[in-house]
Amino acid sequence: MKFAKTFLLLSAAAALSACSDAGPDKSVDRGIDEKHLSQLKAGVWIDPTGCDHWIIDDGVEGYLSARLDKYGKPVCSGTAPPNTATGDFKGGSTSLIGDSI
Amino acid sequence: MTKVRSTTGRGILSAMAAAALGLAAMTGAAQAGTEQYIPTIWVDPDGCEHWVMDDGVEGYMTPHTTRQGIPVCRRGNVCGVINTDQMFATDSSRISGAGKERLMQFFQSTGATSYIITGHTDSRASDQYNMGLSLRRANSVAKVAQSSGARIADVRGYGERMPKASNASADGMAQNRRVEIICIR
Repeated sequence: MKFAKTFLLLSAAAALSACSDAGPDKSVDRGIDEKHLSQLKAGVWIDPTGCDHWIIDDGVEGYLSARLDKYGKPVCSGTAPPNTATGDFKGGSTSLIGDSI
Repeated sequence: MTKVRSTTGRGILSAMAAAALGLAAMTGAAQAGTEQYIPTIWVDPDGCEHWVMDDGVEGYMTPHTTRQGIPVCRRGNVCGVINTDQMFATDSSRISGAGKERLMQFFQSTGATSYIITGHTDSRASDQYNMGLSLRRANSVAKVAQSSGARIADVRGYGERMPKASNASADGMAQNRRVEIICIR
């Protein structure tokens, strides 16, 4: 019983410390699917206004960032209806972590 | 503090202390005023840069822009520049039959998802007049594009506010008199 408690506490502490701090350099996805973040593959999500955003599902992490033209205005391509996502952007997902579909 | 009686007891106490320390360190980090978050750069399919960070579980991303709000891009999406001297008479936004023909061919062969059309002028005449003229010309091009079946995402007139070259020379001014076509793929 006491040993079990010790083990639980130790493993909980270990688990917490493992995910708590990646250090100041946040440029790498660490863990089983480790990679530099420049390699992410994006799809396009159309917001309710009809404008495009880059969307990436990298397993645990999800990313969303505005698609802008060279003048800094939102790109509203009309490629798909609002509230939809297109493209192969779920490259980092697994059946265990994230959305496998 | 209670007296430690056995090695097992000591083990548990030290484990609890370690766990408590770990939690304290975590909450401490979360409450700290300033923490270093150094991003890297992700380049989107258009060629423009975004700041991206992964701090273990969460991911963050935002466009890399200048302080003026202009995206930092490694390549552009401008797929056509019309020299307005060749398409329009001075102060006019009317496109000739031959001009329409050429534009139709361009849009049919390019086949992008949609287009953003922006008109520009040189710095002669007033800013207000140039804003109007550049928008009328951009709209004329967009009309032809639409009649060819192209989807238009936006039409804008920037007048003389987004020069491509210096207005100090005749050659620079000629380069600034243009209608740009941005291809969205």
